[in-house]
Amino acid sequence: MSDELKLINEAKAGSVTAFTELVRTYREGLLRFLLTRCASYADAEDALQDTFINAYRYLYSYNSRWRFSTWLYRIAIRNAGKLPTHYVTEIGELRDEESDPLQQCIADSERENLWQSARRLLSDEVYSAMWLRYVEDMSIKDVAAVLNRSNSWTKVNLLRGRRKLDAALNRAGTANESEAYG
Amino acid sequence: MRHSTAPGRRTKVKLMDKLSQRLREDAANIDVEVSAELDERIRASLEGVTPERPRDDAMPPRLRSMWWASSLTGIAAATVIIVLINLNQPEPPATATTVQAMPIFTPRLIARPAVMTAPLQKELEDLEADLKKAEEAVRKDIGLFP
Repeated sequence: MSDELKLINEAKAGSVTAFTELVRTYREGLLRFLLTRCASYADAEDALQDTFINAYRYLYSYNSRWRFSTWLYRIAIRNAGKLPTHYVTEIGELRDEESDPLQQCIADSERENLWQSARRLLSDEVYSAMWLRYVEDMSIKDVAAVLNRSNSWTKVNLLRGRRKLDAALNRAGTANESEAYG
Repeated sequence: MRHSTAPGRRTKVKLMDKLSQRLREDAANIDVEVSAELDERIRASLEGVTPERPRDDAMPPRLRSMWWASSLTGIAAATVIIVLINLNQPEPPATATTVQAMPIFTPRLIARPAVMTAPLQKELEDLEADLKKAEEAVRKDIGLFP
């Protein structure tokens, strides 16, 4: 039995300490994901807290057939969806950089962070699918399960998302080259 | 055996891989830190949460097997009763069946031989008359008749 499953079973038996260990494993990744979905850092923190509370409350319903992260992200997405509209950032909505929690957490760089481009270019669900696939390394099946979509929908939309970002990446590259050569 | 790849495709695959790498790197560049305060808040919240228990509305295994056994017995009993009722029913009296032959349509072809042979007979007579005339003409030509 894996360490994670052992902790899950202990938490199911009522051990808060075991569940806190699980929280430590997933909190940064989840917060990073929620930051891109919420209007402020504080809202993302609140969503993170709600996610873990709900996960602990309904831990009995977790099926070890799935990865624990798949189950957690599913709860996180549902929680983000339940937030009042002024707490949630519409993907694709351009905001001023000062209030953008994602912008605040991105180190100054010469180029734009690709996830900012993704937020501008992709729909809410496709953005989430891309994040789960390329950052969390989830399988297509797991991504589909988190988003409550079919495998074929997930595959098609991941491909579309990649194409859009790929095009944006190429445009940025061409623009940089043009600037360099005057 | 290695398959050759078109140069365009190879470039595309390379770009896609570069994209995946960039996505991972850029996600790692999002700098987040869970503060001690948030950590404490989460822990305190978890302490106050009572985990839900699965609803115990499912039947215990023993009761479930008994339910199945009684259901199957009931179905078997009902089947036996239906079969017995059908077996004990008196046979219905046999009724004489009359097979009615289908009327076959036969056209009435009644023709009288005289009617049918009359034209031929006339034809024959005409031919014999013609033959006789021809014979007389020949005899006359060769001088057999005066």
